[in-house]
Amino acid sequence: MSDHKPKTTNGNRPPRAFGWMAEFSDEHKLLEAARKVRDSGYTDTDAFTPFPVHGIDEALGIKPTKLPFIVLCCGLTGLSLALLMQWWMNGVDYMYIISGKPFGITPASIPVAFEMTILFSAFSTFLGMIALNGLPRFSNPVFTSARFDRATDDKFFLYVSAKDKYYNRESVRELLAGSSPDHLEEVIEDSSPAALPKAVWLGALLLVLTGLIPAMIVLNMRAGYSTKPRFHVFFDMDFQPKKKAQQTTTIFADGRTMRPQVAGTVARGQLDEADSFYLGYDPAKLAAMEAVGNAAKLVSVQDGSAPAAGAAAPAAGATPPAAAPNTNLPWLDKLPIEANEANMKLGQTKFQIYCAACHGYGGYGDGLVHKRADALAQGFWIPPSSMHIDRIRSQPVGQIFHTITKGQGKMPGYAASLTPKERWAIALYVKALQKSQNASIDDIPVDKRSQLEPAAPTAAAPAAPSK
Amino acid sequence: MATDIRMTTHKNQVTMATIASTSYNPREIDNTVDIPGRRSPLITGNQTYSSVTEMVCRVAEEPQPMLWYVLFGFSSVTAVMFLSLIGYLIFTGVGIWGNQNPVFWAWPIVNFVFWVGIGHAGTLISAILFLFRQNWRTSINRAAEAMTIFAVVCAAIYPGIHVGRAWLAFWLLPYPSLNLWMWPQFRSPLLWDVFAVGTYASTSLVFWYMGMIPDLATYRDRAKSPFKRFIYGLFCLGWTGSSRHWLRYEKAYTLLAALATPLVLSVHTVVSFDFAVSQVAGWHTTIFPPYFVAGAIFSGFAMVVTLLVPVRKIYKLENLITLRHLDNMNKIILATGSLVGLAYGTEFFIAWYSKNQYEGFAFLNRAFGPYWWAYWTMVSCNVISPQLFWFKKIRTSPLLMVIVSIFVNIGMWFERFVITVTSLSRDFLPSSWGYFKPTIFDGLMFFGSFGVFMSLFLLFCRYLPTIAMSEVKGVMSSTEHSEHAQAALLGHGHGGHGSHGHH
Repeated sequence: MSDHKPKTTNGNRPPRAFGWMAEFSDEHKLLEAARKVRDSGYTDTDAFTPFPVHGIDEALGIKPTKLPFIVLCCGLTGLSLALLMQWWMNGVDYMYIISGKPFGITPASIPVAFEMTILFSAFSTFLGMIALNGLPRFSNPVFTSARFDRATDDKFFLYVSAKDKYYNRESVRELLAGSSPDHLEEVIEDSSPAALPKAVWLGALLLVLTGLIPAMIVLNMRAGYSTKPRFHVFFDMDFQPKKKAQQTTTIFADGRTMRPQVAGTVARGQLDEADSFYLGYDPAKLAAMEAVGNAAKLVSVQDGSAPAAGAAAPAAGATPPAAAPNTNLPWLDKLPIEANEANMKLGQTKFQIYCAACHGYGGYGDGLVHKRADALAQGFWIPPSSMHIDRIRSQPVGQIFHTITKGQGKMPGYAASLTPKERWAIALYVKALQKSQNASIDDIPVDKRSQLEPAAPTAAAPAAPSK
Repeated sequence: MATDIRMTTHKNQVTMATIASTSYNPREIDNTVDIPGRRSPLITGNQTYSSVTEMVCRVAEEPQPMLWYVLFGFSSVTAVMFLSLIGYLIFTGVGIWGNQNPVFWAWPIVNFVFWVGIGHAGTLISAILFLFRQNWRTSINRAAEAMTIFAVVCAAIYPGIHVGRAWLAFWLLPYPSLNLWMWPQFRSPLLWDVFAVGTYASTSLVFWYMGMIPDLATYRDRAKSPFKRFIYGLFCLGWTGSSRHWLRYEKAYTLLAALATPLVLSVHTVVSFDFAVSQVAGWHTTIFPPYFVAGAIFSGFAMVVTLLVPVRKIYKLENLITLRHLDNMNKIILATGSLVGLAYGTEFFIAWYSKNQYEGFAFLNRAFGPYWWAYWTMVSCNVISPQLFWFKKIRTSPLLMVIVSIFVNIGMWFERFVITVTSLSRDFLPSSWGYFKPTIFDGLMFFGSFGVFMSLFLLFCRYLPTIAMSEVKGVMSSTEHSEHAQAALLGHGHGGHGSHGHH
């Protein structure tokens, strides 16, 4: 006791005493002393040891802890939460269909349920232990003794609190002294301030405030509005380093992002027929025409643009455009399909569906659409061509096919609505139609001529639309 | 000062001189010998409670040896390199790795499984050996638990950065992602993994921290600077060693051990589900869970041995981490290594016995296909090298055991490589077969993860109690009791062969 002098807190009042503390260097002596104290009826006692001394709870009369019960409850909570979570998230709120497995609780829910049970139990064990022990407790009267530092090293302390209802300063001192401790002292009030230093509070406050800054920024951004685009830390998929159709690029020499077909590419399903079947002209022959002008004409033909537009001159029988660009192209003049009755019927059906609306059933450009548009007299209506004018009658069958495919002037292309075969069938029908309106007696076999009326021996009148 | 009192008032004075006199001499004390009817001492050198405190605290209180600074400098630079590479990866994309069709799971997953496996020894030592009342665990459990946490940190990095958009890795948690309110898919083993590894990491951390509280209090009470006293005091939560506290603490420790035991077995089981639940030949087997767990314990103990042998040497802890501890760990390595060897054999047998042509091909391809070199590295490191531990000479030679355990760790990395890469590179569609080639970033990032691991471990040695002092003291006390009882039972006095001289 020589190293301990009574301290004073405020200089005027005596320091408060918390109890007596005896120090032992051996756990057996501690146990003996503890039993004595317990048998004397003191209950507000404690022992401080560097390791858990076996038998001390019995020697001090410490009751068992209810920690396991808390852990059981938390473990069951974790289990139920895990099962509920999986059932609700995958079976109710967002139903995933995975390999036809059932929704809700399945054997696949076991691993997560198990882990969550352990997680909740483990944390409740630790936090429960801390809470039941009243930790953290940084200010404790027992710390006032400098000797107490050895409670975590190799010394054993027995403590009787002054709060015990049988506490008597002198008798407790005598009782403890009777166990011949190494040292006996009275635990008195600490003179040092118990509160944390101001700097620590300030530091903690500063830390918390700094930690709030990102949250405040996010909240501000969420609540307010801005004319600037959103700030993207990561671009995700909103901004991809890629080029879209019609854009320019420096990657390719021609500056286009879209690439032309690789030479010799054949589309699926187009291997069975010659190219001319789909084009109406012979591309090989066209390629052989080396003149630049012809190549330019080809482009114009393919686009269905400028030069051909002149061909859609409204007046039937008007002078054909000065440059008749398509005449010297290698159009097919022979049908690639057979000219039989089935194809003729097909061509007729399709003609009457797709063409007759404008061109009329006879091909004179007097379809219902034309009549109606003309009646409305809008002034800018360009009537469809008659098929019986010389310019069109002289067109090879390939060119007619091409016109059906790509369109001409106001007429749209029908490649999307009609298969190539159907388009050829229409071309066949158009040819037959033209023939029917411009036939001469010579076209009729000699033995059949007699069936015709003698009144009409000459060629049919070219301008007889009603026939 | 508190220290003066300590040195002057103790009856059986323990000063630095006494510690020096009880310095370790392996020839003098051989506690690896078992004498029938007598328990071999767990710690050597006539230790007292005070000398145990002194020996452990000295590690953190005395200036660190030059070697510590060299190692820390090297490993922290490596760790910084790893972190910079992660930054590079995030801004560039996972294409910097060698992952390529058909091997999309390459080194990142191999490294993940490797590190998680290593992280199994700590909790096993703390929990399972605790439940089996293996008192020798007390000298090694703290360092092993620390190693576990650091290994799990390294492991957790890999799936996090492998997800592609690492900044959205939190979508792995039950979080309603985007505005779709889309929840994770709970029937996927990859999600089970998130829960298993997450629970394991947090529970191990709690276990480790809780075990450290009494020892942090010792550090606090010995701290000379007020700052250290404050910091250690903060982290030990004002621990006093009250018997009421100890009662709940011990109960909590037992509960945590009981909880961590199934947990440690579940973690690698779930990791193995990542493979076993899929259809890929060579993965789709029921042997995977036990086989993975055995492998994990195997590699974890090898890493504990690799770390503790130099630690006990550098910090002069040979009296606490005795040859017997190392010997015991080597026996576990031998046992688990043999289990792993048995698993390799069983896999081959089942591949043949099942008459499944894909399985048969997968295993022949492993051993004799393009990755034969990886397979035979794995077999020689994992199956052959631990067999050397049948010899006690090797089991008790620190140098040789470190060499063997390093081989074991190399082998265990190759095991994961073989499982992952050989099966993926030769799957069901021969037209998509390929050969995996790692890039420089694969290698540097794997190497870098060792930097993170070693930096953390060195910091741990520097600032935290490397040995569970309170547990060692508790075992000293109870051993003494049992020796009293034993002596009484055998009818001869206590003395002569005394393990502890503090009484």
